[in-house]
Amino acid sequence: MEFFDLLEMSANNLTRRKMRTFLTVLGVLIGTASIVVMLSLGFGLNKSTMEQIEESGGLTTITVYGNGSYDDYVKSGELKGVLCDTSIASLTKLEHVKLVSPVMNFSVLLRQGSYEQNTSLTAISLEAMKEMNMPIGEGKLPGKGDELSLIFGNQTIYDFYNYRTEENYWDTKEQPDVDLLGTPFLAVFDVDSYYSAQSGEGTPPKKYAVNGTASIKGSNEEYNEFSWNIYCDIDALQTKLKKIFRGRVIPGQPETKSGKPYAEFSYDQAYVYVDKMENVTDVQKQITEMGYEAWSNAEYLESMQNQYRMIQAVLGGIGAVSLFVAAIGIANTMMMSIYERTKEIGIIKVLGCDMGVIRQMFLWEAGFIGLLGGFFGLLLSYLLSFGINFFLGGLYSEGGSTTVSYIPVWLPFVSLVFAVLVGMVAGFFPAKRAMELSPLAAIRNE
Amino acid sequence: MQDSSSIIHVENLYKIYEVGENHVFALNGISFDVQKGEFCSIVGTSGSGKSTLLNMLAGLESPTRGVIEIAGKRIEQLSENQLVRYRRENVGFIFQSFNLLASMTAEENVALPLRFRRIPKPVRLQRARMMLKAVGLEQHADHLPSQMSGGQQQRVGIARALIVNPDIIFADEPTGNLDSNTTAEIMSMMQRIVRKYNKTLIMVTHDNEIAGFADRIFHIKDGKISLIEERRKEGGKIEES
Repeated sequence: MEFFDLLEMSANNLTRRKMRTFLTVLGVLIGTASIVVMLSLGFGLNKSTMEQIEESGGLTTITVYGNGSYDDYVKSGELKGVLCDTSIASLTKLEHVKLVSPVMNFSVLLRQGSYEQNTSLTAISLEAMKEMNMPIGEGKLPGKGDELSLIFGNQTIYDFYNYRTEENYWDTKEQPDVDLLGTPFLAVFDVDSYYSAQSGEGTPPKKYAVNGTASIKGSNEEYNEFSWNIYCDIDALQTKLKKIFRGRVIPGQPETKSGKPYAEFSYDQAYVYVDKMENVTDVQKQITEMGYEAWSNAEYLESMQNQYRMIQAVLGGIGAVSLFVAAIGIANTMMMSIYERTKEIGIIKVLGCDMGVIRQMFLWEAGFIGLLGGFFGLLLSYLLSFGINFFLGGLYSEGGSTTVSYIPVWLPFVSLVFAVLVGMVAGFFPAKRAMELSPLAAIRNE
Repeated sequence: MQDSSSIIHVENLYKIYEVGENHVFALNGISFDVQKGEFCSIVGTSGSGKSTLLNMLAGLESPTRGVIEIAGKRIEQLSENQLVRYRRENVGFIFQSFNLLASMTAEENVALPLRFRRIPKPVRLQRARMMLKAVGLEQHADHLPSQMSGGQQQRVGIARALIVNPDIIFADEPTGNLDSNTTAEIMSMMQRIVRKYNKTLIMVTHDNEIAGFADRIFHIKDGKISLIEERRKEGGKIEES
């Protein structure tokens, strides 16, 4: 029998019992949809995690924490675990390391008009800012050697309070009247002296004019990891600080026994950028051996992915149960169909239909159920996936950009083939049975 | 005693069913030859073994012992797949209950055996129409079996048996479900077609009168041929076996 004839016969058999076919297909449809949607939740979780990691400086960043004081270094002459300009330079020399940026958090007071905020500047190198993919909304990043200028997180404006009325945003619910990029701020770098002067001890420190140069992308409502920080170029900050605190100890920096500053800066934290993701673990190990605490997304990612695989397995398992039930439905339908058509099968066998063809006919019939169920199941999955993203995606972020359910391009193809296979496997024994029916018994069956 | 011109040669055929401790001889040593173009009927009461014999000739049941040679092939030795092929290539069937597929029109039913021979659809349908015309049903080509009378359905059955141009046609009580007028009509049609196309027809019936349409009549009793009637010549001739 020609292949097309075979398909036609199988399809005709299905259309003859529309209700039963419909119900069986419905079973497969639900099975396929539940697997695909469940998996898509897992994929969505993975995708948004990956995106998050990508955003937060990707997978090639190692955060290094100091593990000893600068005094120890001075006493023992060993750099073990101490983060300072010298050790930053030695970290840079490690193999596979692309870039090292120290991180310096420095307390300042910013004032404009009646508003001020007491904040901690996060100073990193310009290269590191680029490496982090810091999303810039307005303005642009400062250039090399520029005067100290600030990059405002998109929500930092809420940290300003009116020092005359002593009210902040949370009291008034009014956005502070501060011009981040256009108007210069007055900045106090020696915050301690400023406050002691206010309570009447000593002279108030000098204020310096500092400009805002850029702001992080996003509205005042949108959160990202840069939202609440004010960044600046570490070179510019250090130049400025050296000038301001000439001959004195810069706040937060270690001092000699006689209260003098050291020649170099020391840090609590540094970012190490590795050339390739697969080298991250190696480099991280070396850094740890040098006495530092090191943390990278690689570890986090690994544990996330393990977790994600487990979630995926559980979700897929839940979906698989319903597809399994659907497969039993197919087998049942095929068995019913064979009982009903015992006579018919006998007739075509007597008329010279090959046994293999009979088996194929039933296999295709079962496969068709799988295909139809799979196809419509996929349509339903896309619909559900869209719905989930539409209604639930918005719960996590205002823009609704979070992917809760994600169907990779290959998934529909795989699941369609899988559905057909499930149909055929479910139809295998019924088909075999049909093939082996004695034509005699078939004809006798009145 | 095999005759070189015989299309069917049966020798010492036995079929023994084991029912508990007992052995039931459905066929108890049957031998005969059928010539090409002969119309033979096998007559016997219910349980005489006539249907068993037909099933064996058609390769639907295997004998316990004995030889069945059809068109030069020992069909009792064929595998089930080979039997399917044997039936497809050599045999047409006419059934008591017509056995048309209820979901197919008359034309499609007639064309069905051609499907299994990989004949393209247009050719298939054209030949089916010709066959329907030959049995006088061209008006009913698009009717479903449920829309036709018993006689008409059986004529569709006959057309279906003939469409593959088989050497041998087996008919199992072809008029068993028909009234007497229709029976006569169908029988004379079968007789006419066998003569016209020079086909070998083996028909099983319990009715002596219907058996009388044949050239030769095998009477079967208790699994043995009790009598062979020769009828080809006018008036008929009876020979004892």
